[in-house]
Amino acid sequence: MNLRTPIFPTWCPGCGDFGIWGALKMAITELNIPEEKLVVVFDVGCSGNMADFIRVYGFHALHGRSIPVAEGIAMANHDLTVIVVGGDGGLYGEGMGHFIAAAKTNVNITVLVHNNQTYGLTKGQASPTTMEGVITGSTPFGVIEHPVNPLGIALTAGATWVGRSYAANIPLTKDLIVKAVKHDGFSHLDIFQPCTTFNKLNTQAWFIEHLGQLPTDYVPNSKLKAWEQSEREDKYPIGIFYETNKVLPFHKRLPNLDKGTLISQFPTSVDLTAAMSEFK
Amino acid sequence: MNNWKIAGLAGAGIAVTGTLYGKLAMHHGLHVFSYGEYPSLIRGGHNTMQVTTGEHDITTQQKILDVLIALNADGITLHKDELDDKSVILVDKSQVKLDWDKEKLSGTLIDLPMYPISLEVTGSGLSANMVALGASCYLMGFDITILHHLIKETFGKKGEEIVTKNELAATKGYEYVKARHLTAKQNVKVQQVDQIYLSGNEAVGLGALAGGIQFYAAYPMTPASSLLEFLADAQKKYPILVKHSEDEIGAINQVIGASYAGARAMTGTSGGGFALMVEGLSLAAITELPLVIMDGQRPGPATGLPTWTTQADLQFVLHAGHGEFKKIVLAPGDIEECFTMTKLAFILAEQWQTQVYLLTDKYLIESSMSVPTFKDKYSNIRYNIGVDLPEDDTYKRYVLTDSGHSLRSVPGTPHGLSLTNSYEHDEYGYATEEAAMSMAQIDKRLKKLDNISSYLPKSILYGPQTADITFVCWGSTKLVMQHAINLLNQTKKDTANFIQLGCLAPFDSSEFMELAQKAKRLVMIEGNALHQAESLIREHTGLEFKERLNRYDGRPFYAEDIVSYITGGTK
Ligand SMILES: Cc1ncc(C[n+]2csc(CCOP(=O)(O)OP(=O)(O)O)c2C)c(N)n1
Ligand code: SF4
Repeated sequence: MNLRTPIFPTWCPGCGDFGIWGALKMAITELNIPEEKLVVVFDVGCSGNMADFIRVYGFHALHGRSIPVAEGIAMANHDLTVIVVGGDGGLYGEGMGHFIAAAKTNVNITVLVHNNQTYGLTKGQASPTTMEGVITGSTPFGVIEHPVNPLGIALTAGATWVGRSYAANIPLTKDLIVKAVKHDGFSHLDIFQPCTTFNKLNTQAWFIEHLGQLPTDYVPNSKLKAWEQSEREDKYPIGIFYETNKVLPFHKRLPNLDKGTLISQFPTSVDLTAAMSEFK
Repeated sequence: MNNWKIAGLAGAGIAVTGTLYGKLAMHHGLHVFSYGEYPSLIRGGHNTMQVTTGEHDITTQQKILDVLIALNADGITLHKDELDDKSVILVDKSQVKLDWDKEKLSGTLIDLPMYPISLEVTGSGLSANMVALGASCYLMGFDITILHHLIKETFGKKGEEIVTKNELAATKGYEYVKARHLTAKQNVKVQQVDQIYLSGNEAVGLGALAGGIQFYAAYPMTPASSLLEFLADAQKKYPILVKHSEDEIGAINQVIGASYAGARAMTGTSGGGFALMVEGLSLAAITELPLVIMDGQRPGPATGLPTWTTQADLQFVLHAGHGEFKKIVLAPGDIEECFTMTKLAFILAEQWQTQVYLLTDKYLIESSMSVPTFKDKYSNIRYNIGVDLPEDDTYKRYVLTDSGHSLRSVPGTPHGLSLTNSYEHDEYGYATEEAAMSMAQIDKRLKKLDNISSYLPKSILYGPQTADITFVCWGSTKLVMQHAINLLNQTKKDTANFIQLGCLAPFDSSEFMELAQKAKRLVMIEGNALHQAESLIREHTGLEFKERLNRYDGRPFYAEDIVSYITGGTK
């Protein structure tokens, strides 16, 4: 599979985006989806700049609005595999409402969040996941709020697959992306990622110290247990927190999509008789 | 021509009574126009529904009422100046407390015991409106069996008992006034005229279906909500998908996503929701994706007057979206144009890979009118979508061409991989900041609409070819102008005609000027305070209007006011 474009990444040396990029390409190769059946929707941010570095049917959307674009694509053609790539600023900040709504809708898309706990592209202001006390360009007295718990939000909103990974762990990230994509419904993978340029707290060394594992006997089938794990701050576990196939995805709940994808039902001929009857 | 109105508290069944009355007239072969007023409340507050009927040319409401049904005291006091000697007022004095001796009312007042009759035949007061409807049926010379038939159709879903009770209530009302030897206001013979009776929103919905709509995403907002509901319901019969989105930003981006994936897609909203969509308009522009969008105007700023009408979003819609790009703005002027222009919008959007606006307003899309039944069968083809793309993967989504047009590739199509980009981009879609390519892509997008004018609705002159006064209007004001020039020309031949601007962007100045140049006295008429279409005309033609009529109190124009402006010289 040729995933190469003529453009080489413009990310800073050591940026976690490289790892996620590599993992995503490996996952796509492993998933072996025909190239025309995959769409990646990119948010605006350093993470979203991947749009130029990977040869796919790509849509580089507006900052914070990649999820609704992806939803529209998946609703119009549920035969496609639709992946969203974006940052914590775009997806948990500007676009948090869409994130929650899409999880509730359980539309079959996979959302990969490059969680570098900062706004990379706009040079390091605080994001919704920046830790308390961190001084940034927009928080001279240090962030005064506690960061959001994105996995907890996804769970509460109704996401049917929730996981977390770490960018430098490429094999795990690849594995989790494959599983998230294979899941039939809304899947959310939060991927911790160092921003070598602007995040001086959550560095590679910090992650080595603070990342943890889910309990050895952990089974990801309980929202409550998943939520408990997502709230942990002693160590940040990585892996699959929650998954369920008990909730049908959006496209399997609409009778109009039983006959095939929406776009395959293009109305070459329309008869208005039925619609006009009530106006007689 | 006859003018009927029902007025009372919200929740008293005003709308359904009005609809039944309108259909009753239509089933007698008459033409019908109905206009409702209501506050932004669910219960309480003053609601009215006004239905004008006649043998031809019924396009607007009239001031003076032939029949007024007052369900409460406000129903009388707020409408006193709409009565004259010939008016008949139906009121249930057992329910409406007014000092009747002091109330100086023109016309004939009939004490119709709507409530007691309803109570007697149905066990509740809920069918009082049916009693009034039956009485109206007699007064207007309509056939009660047709009313029964309509009641059955309307309430059939609620069961046999409800139908029978309502029929009986109507019959009692009919007989009550008949027994009082009142003469019917008109003598109508039932004529078979093939008409449908529908609102502007419903016509937009039908136009969308005819134009091949597949995806509609929106967030409810008066006066566009009934379009969302009409299309949502149409999902039961047509292969479409309607999404009630989390907000208008979600809606516009979902529509853009669906459009990218190959679905004919649309959204609809009103000013406040439209404001939220603006960034998305810019995205649709740079990605060159087809987009159909209805702005049903209501008065702002902000929440403004939610249930009233305006034409004040014009300049906002024309300029909405950061950066420079072109759009098509159509302004349907009546119910049939709601249909034809919406259908056209889908074709234009896809063919020219551009965004097409339907600039409507509360008055147009929530008023109902009888129109000749639309043709039932339509066929649709696709435009400018690449199917067999070169196997060597040389396809370029944004290839620079002389016309500015380039084939779109829809995901799922082999060899069509490309980037659809919110950033300025090169021919493949990859981001570029290079000066020459940036300018070339901007020029590509701007020039693709260069030769579109022959595909767009024209400015049209209505009325006599030459007249003393030529009005210029757009959108729903056409409804009123048609009646206004009839009134003026009946009094004195060739007094007035009017030009309707059907397409506000791209604005075709030569076409407009050809008509405007012949005018002896030009008067601009529009529903806003800042002369927005007038400015648009001046911007494109240099033409300065010396006279204008503007209304911006949430109410539509009335033909009678336009006539007195001309004959009395004042507004
Ligand atoms: C509507 C809008 N607001 C703000 C911006 C500016 N902006 C671009 S990227 C960005 C934040 C990027 O942070 P994040 O989404 O976390 O992505 P990262 O760069 O860290 O990968 C912002 C605020 C924009 N492009 N659009
Ligand atoms: S600023 Fe941070 S996130 Fe952006 S490319 Fe550089 S290291 Fe990566």
